[in-house]
Amino acid sequence: MREPDPTSRPSVAVVGCGAWTAVGPGVSALWSAVRAHASGLCPDRRFDSPRFQSAIVGAALQDDTGSDDPAFLLATEALGEARAQAGDLLASLPAARIGLVLSTTKANVTALERLAEGRPCSDPARRHIQGDLLAADLARVHAVQGPVQCVSVACISGLVAIVQGVRMIQGGAADAVCVVGVDVLSAFVVAGFTALKAIDPEGCRPFDRDRRGLSPGEAGAAVVLVRADRAPRPAIVIRGWGGSNDANHVTGPSRDGSGLAQAIRCALETARLRPDEIDHVHAHGTGTPYNDAMEALALRTVFGEAGLSVNGSKGMLGHTLGAAGVVETIVCLRAMEEGWLPGTPGLVTPAEGAPSGLVREPRPATLNHVLKLNTGFGGANGALILGHG
Amino acid sequence: MDNLIIAAASRVSEADLPMARLGKRFGRLDLASQLVLLAVEMLGIDFDTQRRDRVGICLAARAGSLATDLEFWRGRDAVGGPSPTLFAYTLPSMAIGEIAIRHRLTGPNLCVVGSDVVLAGAVDWLRRGEAEACVCVACEVVTPALAGLIGVPPVATAAAVYVQRGGVGLRVWEENDRDIASLCAVLCGHNGRN
Repeated sequence: MREPDPTSRPSVAVVGCGAWTAVGPGVSALWSAVRAHASGLCPDRRFDSPRFQSAIVGAALQDDTGSDDPAFLLATEALGEARAQAGDLLASLPAARIGLVLSTTKANVTALERLAEGRPCSDPARRHIQGDLLAADLARVHAVQGPVQCVSVACISGLVAIVQGVRMIQGGAADAVCVVGVDVLSAFVVAGFTALKAIDPEGCRPFDRDRRGLSPGEAGAAVVLVRADRAPRPAIVIRGWGGSNDANHVTGPSRDGSGLAQAIRCALETARLRPDEIDHVHAHGTGTPYNDAMEALALRTVFGEAGLSVNGSKGMLGHTLGAAGVVETIVCLRAMEEGWLPGTPGLVTPAEGAPSGLVREPRPATLNHVLKLNTGFGGANGALILGHG
Repeated sequence: MDNLIIAAASRVSEADLPMARLGKRFGRLDLASQLVLLAVEMLGIDFDTQRRDRVGICLAARAGSLATDLEFWRGRDAVGGPSPTLFAYTLPSMAIGEIAIRHRLTGPNLCVVGSDVVLAGAVDWLRRGEAEACVCVACEVVTPALAGLIGVPPVATAAAVYVQRGGVGLRVWEENDRDIASLCAVLCGHNGRN
């Protein structure tokens, strides 16, 4: 049923990365924290109130910045870093051949809070409560004149945005695509997760026996995609992807993991890889009891009991929602480039049924193919496979 | 390769909601999800004849979830705190989850905020073999409370098409079929369905 020769599509490589996360601005800060097994989660006085389940969050920005447009700030800084890393390659392309895909769930929710409360708000900040306008302004500031999209598929948004970027390039709509993920910490989001009783008062502990939930986080993250044959040096490529829906519950994951397993199998199929060719899985790992259990079950369904190495980064960065897929993909890229397995900050005692190959602390490893997973409200599941170009 | 066929099309507005008979949960959904579910229902597709893991869902949420966002945040000081149910619907893609649950569709998902470019996404899935059919919906909800904040007039509408590989339907998908609402305006009769 597929087109006759899907392999004729060009490979797409990542030639630039940028990030601003709870462990500081820049991909170098992110990677240093991964290597040091450090966590950016800490108490934040903005959320030190009975209204919130916990004050422990993954804040990228200081709580006293007072900015009414933190989403634009984080996104534009991350994109600037990614563009700088892509360097001459982007500069050599016509602006009309460069696209941008923004991944966000709440865009500049800070301004929405202010407007709803009757507080002052600048015009740009007001515009950026709409994700598509935030995407358009990022494109304008960064001289991107090709196709622009704003993708929002709950917590799999980042992976979907990367795949949309690949589709733009393979479909001929663009020669390069900047994929940007951003979501910011806000009373809105922390109150929402508090209402759902989904926050761990002691901080996120992915796959841990005593885990109780997630830690809200914020980040801006960006990658620059190009056709692999344009990359100036061997680069990590997007090998495959898959998506699915649990069709089960709006906020709860399926209990049997079948939806996520379906997404993983689709990704393996598009990558033309067998399960035993995956070296490592970077899990969604929210630290919520049901989601981690479901994810472990899905991995066991596809990969068996072979002890495949698995880690999660949300005990370091918090759950950065629409940025999560992009920033966690950057962790995978750096891990493959450096030959170093990331650990799972927050994990102390693995839960019964957790993946047997959980990586607690970082260590050297050769990684040829890495699988990145995300799942989200509304039953959405996403899987992305990275390989060496 | 098979032609891509637009098998069915529908469009609804808020005025159509009282006629919806979609079960007890329907009344608890946010307005966008109600409109989207009704539009999909009016497509008249018998999903029992489809491979549900091969049916994707694409949503163009023209105004994101801003109307629900505003409602959620205005309820933040309610006794017991803001509504956990409403919080879930502050994601623009939540209507996809509602479609998936109601019709048990487990294929891939895409939600785009703002401009309606999801038909192209659906066509790409079908051409690559990542899905065999796709429910594509465009929804726009701007409540009066939101209208003043973002400077656009109030609106509450949804339009849906069902695109599939081969078979029979309304007509063949054409390269310039890009916007679901415009397509449905051409394809749908006065009763909102074709």
